[in-house]
Amino acid sequence: MPVLPEAFTVAVARDFPADFLSTDPSDLATYGRDWTKVVDPAPSAIALPRSTGEVSRLVRLCARHGVPMVPSGGRTGLAGGAVAAKGELVVSLDRMRRLDPVDVVGATVRVEAGAVTEAVHQHAAQHGLTWPVDFASKGSSQVGGNLATNAGGVKVIRYGLTRNWVLGVEVVIANGDVLAIGGALEKNNTGIDLRQLFIGSEGTLGIITAATLKLTRLPGKLDVLLFAVKDLAGVIALFRAARRGPFVLMAYEFFTERCLARVRRHRTIVTPLADPSDFYVLIEVERADAESLEAWVASVFEDGLVTDGTLAQHGTQAAELWTLREGISESLTATGMPHKNDIALPIAGLEAFCDELDRFFEERWPGWEIALFGHLGDGNLHVNVMKPDAMDRAEFVQKTKAADHAIFEIVKRHHGSISAEHGIGLLKKDYLGYSRSPEELAVMRAVKRALDPENLMNPGKVLDP
Amino acid sequence: MKILVPLKRVADPDNANKVKIPASGEKIDTTGLEPKPNPFDEYALEAALRLTENGQTPKVRAGEVIVVTFGPKECDTTLRAALATGADRAIRVDTTDDKLDGDLVARALKAIVDREKPDVVVMGKQAVDGDSNQVAQLLAEYLDWPQATFAATVHEEDGALLVGREVDGGVITLRVKLPAVVSVDLRIVAPTSVYSTKTARTFKYNDGVRFAALPAIMAAKKKPLVELKLADLTADVAPKIVYNAFQAPPARKAGIKVKDVADLVLHLKDEAKVL
Repeated sequence: MPVLPEAFTVAVARDFPADFLSTDPSDLATYGRDWTKVVDPAPSAIALPRSTGEVSRLVRLCARHGVPMVPSGGRTGLAGGAVAAKGELVVSLDRMRRLDPVDVVGATVRVEAGAVTEAVHQHAAQHGLTWPVDFASKGSSQVGGNLATNAGGVKVIRYGLTRNWVLGVEVVIANGDVLAIGGALEKNNTGIDLRQLFIGSEGTLGIITAATLKLTRLPGKLDVLLFAVKDLAGVIALFRAARRGPFVLMAYEFFTERCLARVRRHRTIVTPLADPSDFYVLIEVERADAESLEAWVASVFEDGLVTDGTLAQHGTQAAELWTLREGISESLTATGMPHKNDIALPIAGLEAFCDELDRFFEERWPGWEIALFGHLGDGNLHVNVMKPDAMDRAEFVQKTKAADHAIFEIVKRHHGSISAEHGIGLLKKDYLGYSRSPEELAVMRAVKRALDPENLMNPGKVLDP
Repeated sequence: MKILVPLKRVADPDNANKVKIPASGEKIDTTGLEPKPNPFDEYALEAALRLTENGQTPKVRAGEVIVVTFGPKECDTTLRAALATGADRAIRVDTTDDKLDGDLVARALKAIVDREKPDVVVMGKQAVDGDSNQVAQLLAEYLDWPQATFAATVHEEDGALLVGREVDGGVITLRVKLPAVVSVDLRIVAPTSVYSTKTARTFKYNDGVRFAALPAIMAAKKKPLVELKLADLTADVAPKIVYNAFQAPPARKAGIKVKDVADLVLHLKDEAKVL
């Protein structure tokens, strides 16, 4: 394993607190990887700064000694963006968790990058406000990572992606300079929006150390409904109806009986509907009033859009229904080996895409189990190809690589994106060309070279300079 | 079979950390708490539904399930949810929690039983707010009916119920002649816990309580729900239990970190005195 230059470690020992750097093997194993378990972690050390000043001094030192860095948050990413497998120095924001007081008039809050998403939610909730970036891993994921990956989640249909909810960012760039971009301003038309450049850059342009977040009111009374739907066309038809429903649509999630069967194998779940169905839709709405919701429900039954359905009668039932959807990702990994793809398509083309996908797998690899679910409301499909139990791991990984090229070719033809919300990181790097033109990639490289000429910021991720 | 199921609305125990007691200690502040049916009562309703069907066709009810609750108008939501799940009709006795205790509820329930003449009263073993665990036993006494408490299984026989009760040493099986009072424990909603005489013993239910289907939720609005006055059921409406003051339990002391196993053993020996 590559080791850090001696001059570098001597300088760190001299200029930083004694507990600044860890080379404890269990820390290396923990901080070196994210939720993708494909690549084995091998960082050279973990730096745990306590302030933006420390991050800045550290980055300056790394620049002087040519030490590559991997910025690290809650490490819940699914594209390998936070993986350190080549002796990099992991810069963890774990110790930078400060939450400043909420500005209740401006509905903003400034937090340090290591603040856990759920902690921000709880902090804002005391004032009837929320930061509406929300997903299953909110108990571990950190604000810095959410910004760096422009995280999505289950409420994107209502609130949009992370980048809509950030007013200012503080970033340490590759030469150690600190950029305090924006602030608490909603309007700030002063040149190129550097803030948005860093949001979604997956740590390749700098280390986000703090952010001023935009907050909104907490939603009112939420209703959770689960519907049984015949086929994918039905899922899309119901979405059309839900978009016009007398309520604010908070989430529109779909999943297949195959996914649910995996959840059932992994944990005890409720059986809310009398008969199994090939497709299910989970809808969460902010209710205007009970009567109009019920009238809408009656209309979707009358129009034959759904075959069965239920409405959670209280909070516990609502949580139980959500478990059916949120338990999928974890259950696929617990009961087998999924190969994950996170793609986006124009909603109008979803059905044709899925038909073509089905045909492709039936011809090439009949018998492979495809577990399909996603945030259909924003055209986001999670296509999980499960390893056949009898197949060898290495053979499966190799075959899915070939399959990915074919899948992404279909995605491209349907004008979709090869990564809707997971990002590019390490795992999708080779496929970036399916979603970005050579001209776009040239501009991205130019930006990368301008900001990080020595390629020390999360090298090897997203694209090579 | 005609079954009466008493239901209580409680604050969601998942939100129990939000229970506040004002400095005066005169009452529990329930603002911000989410109401939901007492879980054991939901289990009782599920058991009652299973006793009045054949498993295969859950929409066809053999007999009648009547749900009853004591509370203000808002409790109608709880009753409507029960009707949507499969109960046939509902009764709400208009009152508020602070005017009730277990004995008064049992006496009022007796009056309802005298009117409705069910074959069996199936109820939760206790409510998760007061945790009193009294009403089923008091009701059986007032009615002079046999009782089987903490039922984990109920199998219907001709004119009787075979009730399995989990006790410390194993399972006690009681045969109670109808009419009777049965209070249920959590395992009553396991797949093979409850069988009516019409249900094949090979039939397996889904684990847990059933969800209300959307068409049933809408149909439930048309099912009968009557309101009664407490005073119509019992002349003596004064509770026997009077609450003088409320006080939060003392806060737990913070834990400590021990250095190693030897240190842990030392603490267990000297402080906890469990070794």
